Amino acid sequence: MTRAAVHPANEPLLRVDGLTIDIGGASVVDGVSFAVQPGEVMALVGESGCGKSLTSFAMLGLLPNAATRKTGRIMLGDTDLAALSGRALRRMRGKEISIIFQEPSASLDPLTTVGFQIAEAYRQHEGASRTAAFGKARDMLEAVGIPDPDRRLHQYPFELSGGMCQRIMIAIALICGPRVLVADEPTTALDVTIQAQILDVMKRLVAERGTSIVLITHDMGVVADIADHVAVMYAGRIAEIAPVHALFSDAAHPYTALLLASVPRLDVPAKAELATIEGMVPSPEEFGEGCRFADRCPLVSDRCRKEQPPLAERAAGHFSACWHMDQVGELRKAAA
Amino acid sequence: MTSSSGNVLEISDVAVHFPIRSGVLGTAVGTVKAVNGVSLTIGHGETVALVGESGCGKSTLSNTIVGLQQPVAGSVRVAGDEVVGADRRRLNAIRRNVQMIFQDPALSLDPRATVGATVGEPLKVRGIASGRQLREKVGALLSQVGLRPEHAERYPHQFSGGQRQRIVIARALALEPGLVICDEPVSALDVSVRAQILNLLVDLQRRTGVSYLFVSHDLSVVRHICDRVVVMYLGRFVEIAERETFFANPHHPYTRALMSAVPEADPVVQRAKKRTVLSGELPSPANIPSGCAFHTRCPLATEICSNVRPELTPRDDGALVACHNA
Repeated sequence: MTRAAVHPANEPLLRVDGLTIDIGGASVVDGVSFAVQPGEVMALVGESGCGKSLTSFAMLGLLPNAATRKTGRIMLGDTDLAALSGRALRRMRGKEISIIFQEPSASLDPLTTVGFQIAEAYRQHEGASRTAAFGKARDMLEAVGIPDPDRRLHQYPFELSGGMCQRIMIAIALICGPRVLVADEPTTALDVTIQAQILDVMKRLVAERGTSIVLITHDMGVVADIADHVAVMYAGRIAEIAPVHALFSDAAHPYTALLLASVPRLDVPAKAELATIEGMVPSPEEFGEGCRFADRCPLVSDRCRKEQPPLAERAAGHFSACWHMDQVGELRKAAA
Repeated sequence: MTSSSGNVLEISDVAVHFPIRSGVLGTAVGTVKAVNGVSLTIGHGETVALVGESGCGKSTLSNTIVGLQQPVAGSVRVAGDEVVGADRRRLNAIRRNVQMIFQDPALSLDPRATVGATVGEPLKVRGIASGRQLREKVGALLSQVGLRPEHAERYPHQFSGGQRQRIVIARALALEPGLVICDEPVSALDVSVRAQILNLLVDLQRRTGVSYLFVSHDLSVVRHICDRVVVMYLGRFVEIAERETFFANPHHPYTRALMSAVPEADPVVQRAKKRTVLSGELPSPANIPSGCAFHTRCPLATEICSNVRPELTPRDDGALVACHNA
């Protein structure tokens, strides 16, 4: 069976379905569902503690010991990644789905050359010879835009800059041609000029290889640059999912609207007051029955505190979990 | 004490070099020229942003201003008092006027000291307040930064990241300094909290007239808060301009590249943007290129750039720019 037969054009490549993850009895990821089409960039956006990283770890079976997946499926094609055993998962990781993290220097082994580390994944998964794998590693270095690849292959991570190390991580993640790359804040630790380079590499790989990317980030600028679809997370739940242009021009959840308004922009006068979101993200012990954003929301009503709003479709492909999504337009105007 | 010129900070021709030592004897085999002859003044109530990438020398320069680092040349005056070569007692007196805020508030606070003890410490060690007076003063400082006086009894771990940064700001303001050096003060914070802290810094400036040297790599934050921007590249200033001029008409090719690299939080604008993506990486400050240090990555570089170092020269709109071709 060919890949095309398994995934007709309108079938998503990756589908996260009702994912719930508990830590100490509290659902820190609560009923998260989204789908990723082949060759698209899906951004998971939110502030610290919103559950975006746990969601991404769950996709690769990398949840920390304290966290358990209570319910939910993570379908990559016909395979439920969440149901796989350790060994079966190991065969998938790096081959079908890969991950890169924020701090490349913490992910690379300081004691082996980068060439060895890139080739290792290929030798493990494809059973390739050392020579063949090094040849492939060299090609990957070129693909991620590292000049002088023959010399770089034999260098150690400490001899490379942060931006180079992140390119190495991307090379390792993509050498076996996975269908999905999970990128957890891949440019947060980098300078802006280097960030621009890395984002360009990622865009090129999506275009050339058709790799889907699940991008975890808190930076709305990065989202605006690279994402096709965006899921905004708040306190473990998805607040809004939308195509990228719709999210920025027509946010339908008060949290999204306020988050966008709090980003400093060029067209506002100097030292003008920035929009802020009052209060703080609730801790898991404080999660109530209703909407988890209720305590900070300017549109809050009694219903919000009692009933959890479901993700409801507002326009084609644009979902928001808010009882008052009709009023968000006015809130957006007031905050701007 | 204020200087006759009325500037809170005057630095001229400051250079900070570090020897590279090697071997068992630790002989110097080279020099890292972290800061290489820079001059700057900051007036009362002014916010100057110091912008540049990792390794450009911006943190070394801020450390030099508070006397944590000795320069090999140049002068640093805080409210007219010379920092360079000052002995401990002099430095102690000068530091009353210049305070620092760092990136990660969790690392700047003593986890075993109450917030009250932390915020009150500068007042106590200088004998400015004690007992009930101290407690009242600490309460007032906490209220000023948007916390409550009763928070003085708690410990840092009981606060969120944004609240901890408020505590650090309260401590920095305890001695009513003329200048606060903010070294990436909001980089570790979430977007919505970042906005709260930026609003607070602006508000405190309006109320107390404090000046800020705002060290940051994030131009979108800088353009919100500053009056003037200084761009640093490999130990030298390459452009200095008023905020409006700076963002409307950046001159230096490095400034333009930096600006085009900042992703705008608007997909329409961002995707239509013509970008200058810089090739390559920052050269090592131990081996700074000849002539203009930027010429190895510069899209405008010509022959003169690799031989002659451009000086900062004024342009029609008042900006100071160090470039032969811009």
